[in-house]
Amino acid sequence: MIGRELGQRDGYRVVELYIGPQHPASGHMRLVVYLDGDIIVRVDPDIGYVHRTMEKLSEIREYVRVISLIERMTIIDSCNITLPFVEAVEKLLGIEAPPRAKYLRTILCEINRISSHLYGLGIGGIFLNHSTMFMWGFGDREVFVHLASLLTGARLTHTYNIFGGVRRDLPQGFKDEFLKAKRYMLRKLKDYDKMFFNNPVIRGRLENVGVLPKDKAIAYGITGPNLRASGVRYDARLLGYAAYSELDFEPVVGKYGDGLERVWVRLREIEMSLDLIEQALKQLPDGPIFHERYAKMVPPAMKKWFEKGRVKLPGGYVRLRPRKGEIFSRGEMGHGEVTYYLVSDGGMMPYRLRIVTPSARNAIMFSILPPGNTLMDLPAIYGSMDYFPPEADR
Amino acid sequence: MTNKEERDNHRPSINPVLAHLEAIATGIKWLTRKPMTLMYPDMEEKKPEYFRGFIIFNYNKCIGCSLCAQICPPRAIHMYRVPGDKRIRPGYDAGRCIHCGLCTDICPTDALDVSPVHDEVFEQIGSMDFDPVEWHIISKKLVEEHAKRKRKLVITRVDEEVGLRYEPVE
Amino acid sequence: MVLVELAKILHVPVWALRGFLAPLVYPGLAVLLGTVLFLIWAERKMAARVQQRVGPYYVSPKLHGALQLIADGARFALQEIIVHIETDRLMFILGPILTFTFLTLPFTVLPGGPGIYGFRSDFSMVIVYALLTLSPITVILMGWASSNKFAMIGGGREALLTVSGEITLALAMLSVAAMYGTLDFVTAVEKQMHTGIIGLVSNPIAALLFFLAMLLLTDRVPFDIVLGEQEIVQGPYTEYSGVLYALTMAIDYVKLYALSLAFTLLFLGGWAPFTTPLLGAISVYIKSLIVMLFSVFLRAVYGRMKLDQAMNFFWARLFPLGFVALALGVFVHVIYA
Repeated sequence: MIGRELGQRDGYRVVELYIGPQHPASGHMRLVVYLDGDIIVRVDPDIGYVHRTMEKLSEIREYVRVISLIERMTIIDSCNITLPFVEAVEKLLGIEAPPRAKYLRTILCEINRISSHLYGLGIGGIFLNHSTMFMWGFGDREVFVHLASLLTGARLTHTYNIFGGVRRDLPQGFKDEFLKAKRYMLRKLKDYDKMFFNNPVIRGRLENVGVLPKDKAIAYGITGPNLRASGVRYDARLLGYAAYSELDFEPVVGKYGDGLERVWVRLREIEMSLDLIEQALKQLPDGPIFHERYAKMVPPAMKKWFEKGRVKLPGGYVRLRPRKGEIFSRGEMGHGEVTYYLVSDGGMMPYRLRIVTPSARNAIMFSILPPGNTLMDLPAIYGSMDYFPPEADR
Repeated sequence: MTNKEERDNHRPSINPVLAHLEAIATGIKWLTRKPMTLMYPDMEEKKPEYFRGFIIFNYNKCIGCSLCAQICPPRAIHMYRVPGDKRIRPGYDAGRCIHCGLCTDICPTDALDVSPVHDEVFEQIGSMDFDPVEWHIISKKLVEEHAKRKRKLVITRVDEEVGLRYEPVE
Repeated sequence: MVLVELAKILHVPVWALRGFLAPLVYPGLAVLLGTVLFLIWAERKMAARVQQRVGPYYVSPKLHGALQLIADGARFALQEIIVHIETDRLMFILGPILTFTFLTLPFTVLPGGPGIYGFRSDFSMVIVYALLTLSPITVILMGWASSNKFAMIGGGREALLTVSGEITLALAMLSVAAMYGTLDFVTAVEKQMHTGIIGLVSNPIAALLFFLAMLLLTDRVPFDIVLGEQEIVQGPYTEYSGVLYALTMAIDYVKLYALSLAFTLLFLGGWAPFTTPLLGAISVYIKSLIVMLFSVFLRAVYGRMKLDQAMNFFWARLFPLGFVALALGVFVHVIYA
């Protein structure tokens, strides 16, 4: 059977192996793997199985309605992916969110980053058949999903950032719940190290597998923790959007660029995010959470909601008309850097919204990392790069 | 927290035998801990304040401004003409709703509100599409039924030992 | 005693009754099936506990989901067996059945307690070893007959790993044989009871090798390379459905049970400290159950080892260690003598 299908490719006698889209470890995509014996010669990622035309759909929606559309690209990281868009529109509208809102955005962004990293680590664990890492990752993510639902009222699709502020104020008792979660997570991370990161079997699977050198990482435009694992100090948060300019942090930068390093960067970024949230909660300024230009347009009978920590929107909020112009904005998601290029013609809907998501930029790693490794390394590489197909396909 | 020295030797070589023993010991340690699962159909979580579930509609408060239909991202709310009513009123397609709650935020009279009902089962797709009067009735019914549920109600708390624990509420 | 009287009532020779009861009741099929059902449930429950989950529960809440496996079995029994058009039909269907049959044969000579065995042979260790090594052949054939690339790769992996695992197992068994100067399980147990030192203490290296080889041959987690869900779906068993799939799932557990019994007899003193058949049988069963539970517990601790690293581990580390174990066995033999 295999003899029949042996073909020639790049001078090798190879077997074509179709992994996915219906395969336990393919995700919503297909990997066409060419094997010479047990060695991978070439991988062709066949992406686009969950393409939902996000860019086109956003051209026929008013700006407010675009927010809850685009957060569906990365449902596990929905605050981070909407924030750059919201800030871009705010700039075109000529407003800026109040400081308290900025801090609240930062807090939710970091909570989302932790859940995104835990999700990625869990998936990375099950790709190495480490079921405990999988369940721990998803279980501990539940803690942060719970925190997010306390803050926003929804578990995943928060629609929290809106133009001019955020939708909910910090609820009572959030700080205590967070501090408990932080202590729990820091303690659990030590167990992650023992069970997963320092486990000799896992070390053997990830060490020196899928090495991405610094120059290659820059040349191919890799982004996010994968880029930092290769030793590049690049993090869009350093731009200082939201409240990041007022917080003290230093991006986690690795050195070796192999699978283990990518896992390590994620583990340490969880610690960093916990620290960032604590800082933000400590420095959280008082004040409004919604821009007063819109707040004062709200009917007087509805003003009571602002005191209860919930934002009410004015009637004209649907028909926002940002000024004519083009704007480019970016932000750091859990998976890497997301960029928006927004063209406004002064109308109620975006004229064009170009979105480049981090997973779309990282998809090239499927082609450049596996060749030369064995078939068993393919899931290890896939798991270590935290690729999220719905985000890449948009 | 990530200074230079720590970063440079962040991947110390491990002693294979000790690391194996440590991993097994960690496994045994967690074998004795309690699970963090919410036994959902048997007990129900008390949702946090303003949890965004099924949107409830109060016909009597509505002024028919149609802002909710305009802001609804998936177009789950449509405006209907109701016989015997001069104004147009919103109807609701629960199958399309993404529970973003923007309609409740923009409603100028609190006719729309969020509710913690999030697990109502409809047996047919057609039965999820409500016209204004039906929406008013089902909202009332759902909220009443939700208050009368006999499941054990628990509240989720973050726990330092096992992550999440569930405390019964009265 | 009971056996002799039962034979008198039934008017059959005692050896025939033994030969019938051992493979079919204890330690054979009947107990085996119960053990496999319990073991899979225990494996899932233990893994769930470590992973902060509940595990199977709602099938029988009062028994904490112990009937889950029976429900699964009923589902498998009622499912259609799909044999796709490109398979080698005969081998595809015979594969799991033959493998399962081969794996129940060792219970004819594996003693389950004092005086509880099908046949007593001076070479029972060799017979058990030989019968266990038959099964990989049919597994490789299953991989071939499935006409599926994943199954084919899985069959290849089975071939590679079996070779490396069985050499280690053979060396471990040989060192025990050298230690006690016998190839018979019963004599080995009697020697351990006579000296009062179990094999685990007198030759720990052989015990470790035996245990690791057992994990490899039964596809337990650090070495479940043949199944390799994330690369090759289900290895040689990818194309199976229905009852045949249930059989392929059972293969590894049956092997685990047989090897755990052997481990108990060789290294944990068999039925020591008891000498009566009933208590002895319970002692053997509980000891081997503990061995099985520990080996399935490892599922919650480890991921899957890389193929080349596992091969390297077995050939470059454990194979030389096997000779050390053999030398130690000979040394201990001299001391005992």
